[in-house]
Amino acid sequence: MTNMEREDGTTRDDLVQRVALMEAMIAEGRRNTGRFGWIFILWGLVCLIGIGESYLLPQSYWVWPITIVSGFVIQFIGIAMHRRSGNWPSENLKSRSVAAVWRMMGIAIILYAAPAGVTHTIHQIAYIAAIFMFLGMAHAISAVILRWRAQGVVAGLWWAGGVATYFVPRNYVITIYVVEMVICMVLFGVYAMWLERRRAVALELHHA
Amino acid sequence: MPELPELDPVVHGKLRLAVLVLLVGVEEADFTWLRDKTGSTDGNLGAQMMKLEEAGYVAMQKRFAGRKPQTLYRMTPAGRKALAKYVAALKLLLGGAL
Repeated sequence: MTNMEREDGTTRDDLVQRVALMEAMIAEGRRNTGRFGWIFILWGLVCLIGIGESYLLPQSYWVWPITIVSGFVIQFIGIAMHRRSGNWPSENLKSRSVAAVWRMMGIAIILYAAPAGVTHTIHQIAYIAAIFMFLGMAHAISAVILRWRAQGVVAGLWWAGGVATYFVPRNYVITIYVVEMVICMVLFGVYAMWLERRRAVALELHHA
Repeated sequence: MPELPELDPVVHGKLRLAVLVLLVGVEEADFTWLRDKTGSTDGNLGAQMMKLEEAGYVAMQKRFAGRKPQTLYRMTPAGRKALAKYVAALKLLLGGAL
């Protein structure tokens, strides 16, 4: 086809433009505009507050359940607010896969941690190491799905921390816990939020 | 010489084409998300979505997220077929450049 008009008035340039438009929309659709970084920060802070409270109130059984439930309530409110503002992504296979990984990991951690915490039948170090392994696995799977190297590094840090808990003196385990929570949850969340913000600005410029 | 394929005028519209391509990759999409992704206005997108609905290429569903009403769109099998046919026609017209 030359650039001569068809009977319906369409030229070759029109068709080439349509191809470019389709490519741009495919790229747009793949781009995840969801805001999830804050969830990492939230849970990092929840875990840091929980460990701080249990240090201050070592005899209280209610510290962790109350802290964790508060985390869920805040997350629920946050997600509801995002949905209302229209800041929630449409679902595709990739986003559903990543969301499924994190949901199932959350369920697995609760099913693992709650009975262990109630019955005290597990060694504290094995308990912390297992939680780190759960988190590392979720990050690793998500990193593979999203092809996100930074998240792969975070997965490696969780696993390294989990292994390290068996080899360091016992009083250093808490230091590892705090360092992991700060780096792999809070700072990673801040980094994710920074990327989300940058992506949003790029999108605004694209549409300007 | 083979006859040149017809381009479906409903799919050929720029904004409608953009929406259909976006909807192919997702299960369902909120009106706001489609508007942001295409950079269109509420009025224009609403009018184009109505045309796609009338052609049977998208299905609309209204629901509430909390107290806020949400308009969700999903592509119908007819819409997928029409888009596939349109892409095939484009390929033919552009000599396999796609």
